[in-house]
Amino acid sequence: MNDVMLDVVSLGAGYGEVQVLWDVSLRVSRGRVTTLVGANGAGKTTALRAIIGSISPRSGHVVFGGADVTRLPAHAKVERGLVLVPEGRQLFNAMTVEENLEMGAFSRRAARQFAHHLDRVFALFPRLAERRRQLCGTLSGGEQQMLAIGRGLMSNPELLIIDEMSLGLAPVLVHQLFRALKTLKGDGLTILLVEQNVHLAFALSDHAYVIADGRVFTEGSPQALATRPEIRRAYLGL
Amino acid sequence: MFGIIASIIDGVLVGSVYGLAAMGLTLIWGVMDVVNLTHGSLIVAGMFALYLLTDATGLSPYAALPAIVVGGFAVGLFLYWIAVHRMIGRPPLMSLLSTFSVNLVLVGLGTAVWGTGLFNVPVSLPGLTLQRFTFPGTHILAAVLAGVLAGCLYAFLYGTRLGKAIRAVANNRGAAELVGIPTTRVLSFAFALGAALACVSGMLIATLFPFTVLSGDAYQLKSFVVIVLGGFGNPAGALFGGIALGLVEGLATPFMPVSWILVIEFGLFVAVLVARPGGVFALRRT
Ligand SMILES: Nc1ncnc2c1ncn2[C@@H]1O[C@H](COP(=O)(O)OP(=O)(O)O)[C@@H](O)[C@H]1O
Ligand SMILES: [Mg+2]
Repeated sequence: MNDVMLDVVSLGAGYGEVQVLWDVSLRVSRGRVTTLVGANGAGKTTALRAIIGSISPRSGHVVFGGADVTRLPAHAKVERGLVLVPEGRQLFNAMTVEENLEMGAFSRRAARQFAHHLDRVFALFPRLAERRRQLCGTLSGGEQQMLAIGRGLMSNPELLIIDEMSLGLAPVLVHQLFRALKTLKGDGLTILLVEQNVHLAFALSDHAYVIADGRVFTEGSPQALATRPEIRRAYLGL
Repeated sequence: MFGIIASIIDGVLVGSVYGLAAMGLTLIWGVMDVVNLTHGSLIVAGMFALYLLTDATGLSPYAALPAIVVGGFAVGLFLYWIAVHRMIGRPPLMSLLSTFSVNLVLVGLGTAVWGTGLFNVPVSLPGLTLQRFTFPGTHILAAVLAGVLAGCLYAFLYGTRLGKAIRAVANNRGAAELVGIPTTRVLSFAFALGAALACVSGMLIATLFPFTVLSGDAYQLKSFVVIVLGGFGNPAGALFGGIALGLVEGLATPFMPVSWILVIEFGLFVAVLVARPGGVFALRRT
């Protein structure tokens, strides 16, 4: 049995009158990469929002590092090292690259080692160092995604959750981003990915969940999942 | 000829104080999309705070400034939690109505306590005489203080961790929460800061002109004109907007009766809204 870092138990969530997520349970082990795959609209982003606290869960529990954090506001979760790089990047586009990274290190836990983390992010994404004084609205899509991940890393995460990192990016950039994640994994970072590019995500992951219609459809090791015909057809395009 | 130039210069001195007032209003709008209709009451609160403090202590009016900043901040925090907090993220009409009602209560309270008579804070400062024209010392000092405070606000917003967090919340509240910024606390702080700016500008205006409990409306309207000139949600633009408004006032004063000045100002307000809805000095907002 691995050391469980994030334990999501029977999570239910939705928007207004509409329930989107039912009874979702998943686990993320320390030092591992876990992936959620599923069709558009399956509820992956909603699950991440409920985990991080941008929307409040209607039922179930989120246990992080052994503590129940279900009702903590998102900013308090960041203070514990639970960090989300959201879908659509959500950068501070009226601020510079450097200011975005500085804001990433807003929490007390991260502020202590600001310089160390900044060096690490610039080593991982040298392009950000070149553009540190630019407004982030002037960056290309790939650079913006690097900045979004960099900002997440500045928070000094225990668990880094990344939603749809490769959406809308050219294949070269997608490969570059996955190489960066591989480096982070090598450094021992725990990662939870939501990814449309299932091939690359599976290659990096230790464990995967398939979400369909707001529920966990199945789970397993990527190798095992990739041999199942219905999964190959639906998510791997084979 | 020199009379007109002198009138313009004096207008600019006074206008920079209007700019400071508008900064408070535009900061709140820019950060939380709330049009704070208690702005006028806060300006009047600053005026009466100055009156009471100088009356009670006999100190120089300018010595009251730090106390008024602190008091305005505290009042702002209180107003945020009673009138604004629950309206955050709701349609703008909600906060418009709630701050409007609180404003009525505040004006009512003020009227009950002080009536609607004219008040005046005597300030003795030597003026600066050039040719036949004397620039009042109070105007010069008020403009200098407004400039210094505007500079402090700018340095705070761009140079400190909390200031940057305020800008981050203004830019993308959801993302701010995701990087660990306690957005509700930051919103209440920004509102209180805006309120403190309104109070201090009220205090400075009270060193220039006599005032009544009902003066708030006129100065609040001026703040709206200044914001439209300077660009919505842009505190740096507000100072320029205030200076532009003062310039227009200074230019118009020698040529027409005072009652026409407001007509000119609101004509300008409408013209700018139609021609450049983002404001004359608007920074491009991405
Ligand atoms: N902000 C929202 N308000 C209302 N419904 C939403 C919102 N976001 C997503 N949904 C709905 O929730 C369902 C799941 O969406 P989402 O979690 O974004 O799926 P995924 O990330 O798997 O593509 C969809 O039917 C979508 O229309
Ligand atoms: Mg999604």
